[in-house]
Amino acid sequence: MPKRNDLEQKALQFVMNTGFEGVLQSELWRNLGASSREGSRISIKLENKGLIRRAKELCDGRWTYRLYPKRLPASIESISDCPCLMCQDNPRCDPSSTISPKNCERLTDWVLLIAKGESGTVGDS
Amino acid sequence: MLSNIDDATLLRVAGALGEEEAVKLIEILKNSEEITDDEIANKTGIRLNSVRKILYKLYDHSLVGLRRTRDPKTGWFIFHWRLQPDQLEGFILSQKRRVLEKLNIRLGYEKNHDFYYCYTPGCKRVPFEEAVELVFRCPTCGKPLMHYDNDKILGALSKRVDVLRKELGE
Repeated sequence: MPKRNDLEQKALQFVMNTGFEGVLQSELWRNLGASSREGSRISIKLENKGLIRRAKELCDGRWTYRLYPKRLPASIESISDCPCLMCQDNPRCDPSSTISPKNCERLTDWVLLIAKGESGTVGDS
Repeated sequence: MLSNIDDATLLRVAGALGEEEAVKLIEILKNSEEITDDEIANKTGIRLNSVRKILYKLYDHSLVGLRRTRDPKTGWFIFHWRLQPDQLEGFILSQKRRVLEKLNIRLGYEKNHDFYYCYTPGCKRVPFEEAVELVFRCPTCGKPLMHYDNDKILGALSKRVDVLRKELGE
């Protein structure tokens, strides 16, 4: 039988991976291979620790809970391609100085690239 | 402690900080409690000065910690490095906040300005005030400047700002 803490960690990871959508408590315990009692106890525990939020939801005529993560897994995905992340000019970058995010060419190129990625072509270089 | 950082994220951060060599270095650090820079260089085949450069970079962000001892024979310092994965989440959050701040500044600037552009690859867009001073001629290629619609840029920037805000719980 897996240790309680292992299950808790797995449950937390599972809930966090669902992102803003959240997951039904029943789906959680089925996925973990645990019983509904264990599932409910673990989710209460995680809620008490402030790691998840439980919201009551009616599903197939039964009241259950939808579990939402309070914190998403820390991922660097959303900024990993941004030139500001490891920019060497960072200490000198300020809106009031010559090196500024307002007119930074590297930032412009990146924004144009993501704009292009989202919808066809953009007129700039 | 319940952690919400996985190894893949750790390696991605290493990649962002110092590319391939940092990834190799983190792999070694991850599998050992404490290790000296010399041992890392021997294990990875990365030059000792590069190893130290990457380690100091990681140390600047508190992602690695060090312990210093003195070599009894030579009297030189020996640095023992260890990974501090518990600092990773804080590092990611602080970087996200910093990037968000920059993107917000840029978004405000794009919203409040009209841009003019000669549509020549390699030339820069010019805000209206500057375009007036230049009599609507590109300062680089001399072609006439025409109005540039930055809606797509605004859209892409707003989306990224929203994503970051959500991730930071703002």
